[in-house]
Amino acid sequence: MTGTALAAEPVIDVRGVTKTFGETTALKDVSLTVARGEIVVLLGLSGSGKSTLLRHLDGLDRPDTGTVTVLGAAVSRLRGRSLRALRGQVGFVFQQFELVGSLTVLENVLSGALFRVRGPRLGLWGYRLDLKLAALGHLDRVGLLAQSYQRADTLSGGQQQRVGIARALMQNPCILLADEPVASLDPESSAQVMALIREIAIDSGLTVVCSLHQVDLALSWGDRIVGLRHGEVVLDTATQGLSKQNVMEIYGRVTTSTGELDLQTFTSSRDNRR
Amino acid sequence: MTLALDRPQPGEADAATAPVRAPRHRAQPEKIAAGLTLVALVVASVLSLVSVDISLPQMAASWSNAARFFDRVGVVSFPAPGELLYLTGLTVGLVLLGTLFAAFCSVPLAWLAAANTSPGRGWMGLARFLGVLARSVPDVVFAMVFVLMFSLGTLPGILAIGIHSIGMISKMFADAIEQIDEGPRLAIRAAGGSSSQEFCAGVLPQVLPSWVATVLHRNDINLRGSVILGYVGVAGLGLEMSYAFKSLNYSLGLGIALVIFMLCVVMEIVSSAIRVVMLGQSPTGRGLGDRLLRRLGVTGMKADASLRPWTYARVRNVVWGVLATLIVVGSVWICDIKWGDFLMVWSYLPETAAKFWPPSFGSYTAPVMLAAMGETIAIALAATILTIVASIVIGSLAARNVAPSSRVRSGMRLVLVSIRGIPEIILAIVLIVVTGLGAQAGTIALAIGGVGLLGKLLADSLEEVKPGPEQALTAAGATRLQVYAGATVPQGMTALVGHSFYMLDTNIRAATILGLVGGGGVGYYLLNAGQGSRYDLVTTIVAMILVTVLLVEGLAMWMRRVFR
Repeated sequence: MTGTALAAEPVIDVRGVTKTFGETTALKDVSLTVARGEIVVLLGLSGSGKSTLLRHLDGLDRPDTGTVTVLGAAVSRLRGRSLRALRGQVGFVFQQFELVGSLTVLENVLSGALFRVRGPRLGLWGYRLDLKLAALGHLDRVGLLAQSYQRADTLSGGQQQRVGIARALMQNPCILLADEPVASLDPESSAQVMALIREIAIDSGLTVVCSLHQVDLALSWGDRIVGLRHGEVVLDTATQGLSKQNVMEIYGRVTTSTGELDLQTFTSSRDNRR
Repeated sequence: MTLALDRPQPGEADAATAPVRAPRHRAQPEKIAAGLTLVALVVASVLSLVSVDISLPQMAASWSNAARFFDRVGVVSFPAPGELLYLTGLTVGLVLLGTLFAAFCSVPLAWLAAANTSPGRGWMGLARFLGVLARSVPDVVFAMVFVLMFSLGTLPGILAIGIHSIGMISKMFADAIEQIDEGPRLAIRAAGGSSSQEFCAGVLPQVLPSWVATVLHRNDINLRGSVILGYVGVAGLGLEMSYAFKSLNYSLGLGIALVIFMLCVVMEIVSSAIRVVMLGQSPTGRGLGDRLLRRLGVTGMKADASLRPWTYARVRNVVWGVLATLIVVGSVWICDIKWGDFLMVWSYLPETAAKFWPPSFGSYTAPVMLAAMGETIAIALAATILTIVASIVIGSLAARNVAPSSRVRSGMRLVLVSIRGIPEIILAIVLIVVTGLGAQAGTIALAIGGVGLLGKLLADSLEEVKPGPEQALTAAGATRLQVYAGATVPQGMTALVGHSFYMLDTNIRAATILGLVGGGGVGYYLLNAGQGSRYDLVTTIVAMILVTVLLVEGLAMWMRRVFR
């Protein structure tokens, strides 16, 4: 995978997407293009529209207006089998891991391959041997081979998130979406998980869109930062040469000691504006 | 453990050798044992289905039977209006008083049985044991004993319903007490309250809603069950129905069955209205009582500041309270309780108790009795497996997160509610009388009745599973069916196992009772022994039922723990 020609090809193309839930506007005229192999961070506070944008990219939400094109397909128009085929190409990692706690780790990872098989599967039965071997390989990749047959809810948070990543890898995705993957984890596990995602992305040439709310982490981890505020894109720049101060200036906020955007100043100034 | 060591190293991980290095899949022995038990139970259930002879040709034949039956019997008939009204009042009053008796007795019992209020472990064990005992012995057995001790009338029925109900109400009540917020209790203790003050001011207000809900639910169950008490001589609609069937007056019997069915539906509606009034957090002003008050012209009134103002809500509550008291007084009046029996009973007690001891098989042999008990278990197992299969389909389609559309969901919910309205004992009696079948009719009646309960419980449990994993599978491109099998079912499995064993538990007891009306199994011998005054045999049969019920309950507890 070489050359600028490939890098220029957009795998994600969002144009003028607006989405409202009842009274609240989650996304307001959002446009975003992501090239193959890019590692993009969506930065913003909770409620800024990061999750909604990610959900649009996987066809979990549909835009009110605008178009979402992923891997050349208009996601918002897909239905049924073609939508599932596209979702299969796009891995999704969740903030709360979303594993089935009563199933084993291996079963959870295998459920990432469901779009390849026809019909429902109960437990380990019915998965082909090659899928099982692939699942074990992915578990090895995230360092949890030894826990393959444990119940998922016996693992720590960081381990569960690594299972979530293995499940996404089971799809052999072209794109990996991650919605606040470390927001529920302690700092040490967070560092492990973020490093793992980046390593895998670079090794396998994945395009990654990951939402975060910590500026420090976003700067050190991503190649490009897209900032969202009240459902609008307010920042879109490469991280190289960017300092925290720059980001904060663009956001018009002061940094807090924790390095997170200060929620209080944020909301109070918003109220002042009204 | 340092960060660098724990982190997987991409270069070192070798996908090709991963399967070799993976740990062997080793299930825990207890899980294997539980799984095998489950498989054995399913096999036994299928064999039971065969032994009870539930098959389609059989069903078809019985329907032609039914057609002939109705040709012969003609239309249903009812007792004279005045008598019907009296019998209905008597049945409702008896059930109400029995339930209320249980409701009050279960307060101290629950206080003893709840871990956080019990004065000691010994008391706790004793109270729990009494609860299990009361729950395990069918109310009809209590009624048989009490009919013997008291003069015929309503008192045996009230006491039988009451004592049997204490088991369930006190258990639910104790569970609720164990789940309370300990804060208010602590506050009262800190303020120098005694332990009884602690209970009345800190515990009772918190558990009152669950107590009311349980009592209302139990009252519905008791009304359905009251029919069977008539078969052992307790006054009311059930007794008249059993007379009618015994004298081959089928049209009258079916008429009374219809009345009981209507009565159950009405009671269900009334109790859900009461539940809304007493437990609803925000009064809507659109309830039955509200409309009644508005018609009477009662709205909020002004009052002295030192007195609690007669607000709209207070007037409504007082009216409901007065109404409830009147109903209870009316029940006591119509039941015409012979209070003197309470004094007389002590003189009969030793004599009666002696009749029940020692247990014996009477004129039957042990194999005959064991075979009868076996048939009862077979009926319960067969009914349970039919119920589970039907409930998985209907209950899943009635769950919001599984149903393909909201219309399907509402349709299935309606089916479940309608089935719940039918008392299964009435269904069994009608099926037995109409189709002429025995064990088959009993099995089908139990199976149909069970779907109403299990289907609802299952639908509710499926709706309560975490939506995240379902969404994760959807995001990975899984179909609806794959999401159902991969995320919804595994998360709802514990609930399914728990509810199914609850169903089996209920069915074993119900199957015993079915025998009394001709549904096969040990119940037939129980009725015969009671009517033939072979009380030693009654003891034997009750002991067999008790052992079976306790076994199933123990099995259920074990399964729930293993399949957590």
